[in-house]
Amino acid sequence: MSKLKLNGVSKAYGATLALRRGDLEIAAGEVHVLMGSNGSGKSTLCKIIAGSVRPDGGEILIDGQPVTISGPQSARAQGIGIFYQELSLAGNRSVEENICLAMLPVKARMFIDRAALKARAARYIDLFTGVFGDGFAAETLVGNLRADQRQLVEIMKALASEAPILIFDEPTSALDRAQVDRFFDILRRLKRDGRGIIFISHRMDEITAIGDRVTIIRDGETIKTLNLNETDPAAVIRLMVGGAGDMPASRSSAPAVASFATGAAMTVDKLSGAGFRNVSFEVAKGEILGLGGLHGQGQSAMLRAIFGAGAITSGGIRIGGDHFDARSPRDAIRRGCAYVSGDRGRDGVIVGRPIIENVTPIHYLRDRLMIAHPRSLKEKAMPALAAMHTKFASLLHPINSLSGGNQQKVIIARWLIDRPDVLLLDDPTKGIDLSAKADLFALIRQLAADGLGILLYSSEDAELLGNANRILVFNGGSVTRELTGEDRTRYNLYQAAYEAA
Amino acid sequence: MNVAISFLKKPLVIALLLIVALLYLGEGLSPGFASADQILRLLIVASLLGIVAAGQNVVILGGREGIDLSVGGVVSLSAIIAGNVMNGADGGILPAVLACLAAGAFFGLLNGLGVTLLRIPPLVMTLGMLGVLQGLLVVIRNGIPSGRAAPGLSAFVTQPLVLGIPGIIWLWIAVGLFMAFMLSRTVFGHRIYAIGSNEHAAYMAGVPVRRMRIGLFMISGMFAAVAGLCLLGYSGSSFANVGEQYMLSSIIAVVFGGTSLAGGKGGYTGTMAGALLLVILQGILTTVNIDESGRQMVFGATLLLLMLFYGRGRAMRA
Repeated sequence: MSKLKLNGVSKAYGATLALRRGDLEIAAGEVHVLMGSNGSGKSTLCKIIAGSVRPDGGEILIDGQPVTISGPQSARAQGIGIFYQELSLAGNRSVEENICLAMLPVKARMFIDRAALKARAARYIDLFTGVFGDGFAAETLVGNLRADQRQLVEIMKALASEAPILIFDEPTSALDRAQVDRFFDILRRLKRDGRGIIFISHRMDEITAIGDRVTIIRDGETIKTLNLNETDPAAVIRLMVGGAGDMPASRSSAPAVASFATGAAMTVDKLSGAGFRNVSFEVAKGEILGLGGLHGQGQSAMLRAIFGAGAITSGGIRIGGDHFDARSPRDAIRRGCAYVSGDRGRDGVIVGRPIIENVTPIHYLRDRLMIAHPRSLKEKAMPALAAMHTKFASLLHPINSLSGGNQQKVIIARWLIDRPDVLLLDDPTKGIDLSAKADLFALIRQLAADGLGILLYSSEDAELLGNANRILVFNGGSVTRELTGEDRTRYNLYQAAYEAA
Repeated sequence: MNVAISFLKKPLVIALLLIVALLYLGEGLSPGFASADQILRLLIVASLLGIVAAGQNVVILGGREGIDLSVGGVVSLSAIIAGNVMNGADGGILPAVLACLAAGAFFGLLNGLGVTLLRIPPLVMTLGMLGVLQGLLVVIRNGIPSGRAAPGLSAFVTQPLVLGIPGIIWLWIAVGLFMAFMLSRTVFGHRIYAIGSNEHAAYMAGVPVRRMRIGLFMISGMFAAVAGLCLLGYSGSSFANVGEQYMLSSIIAVVFGGTSLAGGKGGYTGTMAGALLLVILQGILTTVNIDESGRQMVFGATLLLLMLFYGRGRAMRA
C-alpha cells in the first residue's frame, strides 16, 4: 500500500496555474525523485504536501486515508517532515537547539530539559561524524557555520522529526562528496525502515545513485512515473523537455551572426568569485552570448561581480583593449558597462519617484551633470523610452503607476541615453508580459547590430535559443558546455544543465 | 469633489489651514496674539527652527532610518563658539560664521562616518553624538566665558532689514528657495530621493550612496550651526543647552510637513509650514501659561499623533 498518494491536486495563484494536475504515489521504503525544470510546479507540489500551501482541488491520502493538511503544524502531526531548500534555521541558536526546535523536550511543563535535548540532538549529529569539517560542534551557533554545515543541520532537523514521510528539496546543493555519500547511506537505512522519501535534486548522478522511481513534472502536470533502473538519463531529460526538444533553434529566429573580425567587446579570463569559478569567454562586438543552465549556478553571481557589485577573487576582465576591474557599479558604469537585473523591485526601480528620475541616473553619472535641467533631460529621455515602445502618460508620473513590463522598459531605457560598450542582462524578462518581452528582444538585437557586446542570462530557454549566437551552460558555478549552431537545442541545454558538474 | 478632498488631505494644505486656525485661536485667547508685530516675532522664531529642520529634512529624506538627534547639541555648541569668536564685535562675525560652519560640518562628518562606515543606526549614532556634544558643552563652559553677540548679528536677527522684515526671515526664505532648487533641480537632490526610495537600486545605478549619506549629515550639521549662530543673535548671549529644544521640534516640523520618516518622500515647503505651525502652537501654550515641561509633553504627543496619522496612510498605500 502507498504511504502517500496525491490525486489530481491543483493550485492557482491568481490567473497563473502553478499546478494543473499533480498525481503522485510514494510507496513505503522508496526514494521517490521529483524532476522538472524551474517553474514546472514541483515546489508547489512539495509545499502542498508540507502544508505551507493549500491546494484548490484534488485529494491527498496518507496510508489510504483521505486527509486535509491545513498547515505546517498539521503536516507534522500527520507524519510529514520536510527539508527546506531555503533552510529554516535560527542563526543565533546552537546546532542542538535547532535540531530539536520543532519539539523541544520539556520538564515540569515549562523548563527546557537540557540533558534530554543534548541527548536527542546527539543522535542525529552522530550520524554525520567525520564529515562535517572544522568548526562544527553541538554548541556552535548556526550563524557561525559554513553553508554546507548549515545544510547538514537542516538535514538533521528534518531527520529529527522522525516522520514516516520525508521531503528533501535540494538537500545536497552545498554538500561535498563525502557528506553526500554519508547522507545517502542514511537515506538507504531509512528506506529499510519503511519510510517514504521524496527527493528533489538537479544532479542526474545523484538521482540515479539514490532514487528508486522518478516522477517527471512539466508545465504543472505530472507526466509520468518511471522505475529508475529501467530507464536512462536521456529518456528522463526527453520527458522533461517535451515534444520539440530535439529540434534546433528555429532558423527564422536565428540572430545575426557575430564576427570576431570586429574585435572583442569583452574578454573574461579564468574569472573566479563568490558563486562561480574559472569562467573564461569572449564576447564579440555585436554578439549576443547566452548564459544557460539551472537557476543559481553562478550566472547572476558572475554578471553582478563583473558589474562591481560582487566579489572577484581571481582572473581578469578586459573591455575593448583595456583592463577592467570595477570596484563598484559606479566605477563599472563610468567605464562603459551596463547591467539590467530581472529583480527590478530590488535592483532597478526607484519607487515612488517620477519616470524621468528613473531614466536619468546613468546619464547624470556619465555626463557628470550637476544641474537637472528638465527640458534637456526630457529631450534625452523621450527617444530612449520611445525605442522601447514604453507606454506612459507623463514623465512626471511615479514609476509605480506603470505595469511591470513598462517599468522594466524604463529601467532599460536609462542605459540608452549614453550607450555602454557591454550590456549585462541578468534574467531581464522575469515577470513581464509577452509584448514587453518582444519589444525588449527587438531592442537587444538592435543594440547588438549597433556593435554592443551583450551577455544574456535567461531562465527561459526559448529566449536563449532564439536570441543567443552561442550559449554557455553553467553548472555548479562553472561553464560545462558551450552550445553553438545546430547544437543549440532544448535537449542539449537540459542535458548540460542536469549532468553532474 | 474627490479632487477637493485629495487637495485637503495634502499635508501642506492641512498645515496651512491649521496655522490660520491657531492664529484665530490665539487671538481669541489673548487679543494682540495675531498682530503684525507678534506675527513677525513668531516668524523670527520659526526661522530658527526652520533652518534646523532643513538639515533634519534632508537626512530623513535620505532614508535608511535617517534621523539626526544631535542637531540640538550642534545648535548649542555653535552659539557658544560664535559668542566667543565675535565677543561683541562686528568684525568677528565672518570668522564666527566660518568657525560655526566648520564645527557643524565636522560633527556631521562624524555622524555620517559612523552611520556609513561603522554601520551604526542613525538613531543610535546621533544620540551618542548628542551625548558627546552635551559633555563637550559642560567642559567648554567651565573654561571660557560664553561670549556676546555682535550688534550687527543681533540687528540682523531682530531688526527690520528690507521692507520692514528682519534679515533672518529673508535668510529663511533664501534657505527655502535653495532647498526647493536643490531637491527638484539638482542631480544631488534627485539622488537624495533615489537613495531614500530604494538604496540598492540607487547603488546599482551608480549613485555614491555612502558619500551621499555622509554629505547629508554634514548639511544637517551646518544648518544647525547657522541656526545656533542666529540664535545667539536672537538672545544676545548663549546659555546652557540653548539648542536643546530643537531635536524634537525639528523632527515634528519635518513630519508635519509630510516628509515620510521612511525616507524618499516629501520636501521642504511642507516643513516650513510645519515649523511655523509649531512655533504658533508654542506661542499659544505660553499665552495660556503652560510651562516648558508642559510644552514638551504637548510636542511629544503631537509627534506620536502625527505618526499615527501618517503611518496609517502609508500602510494603506503600500
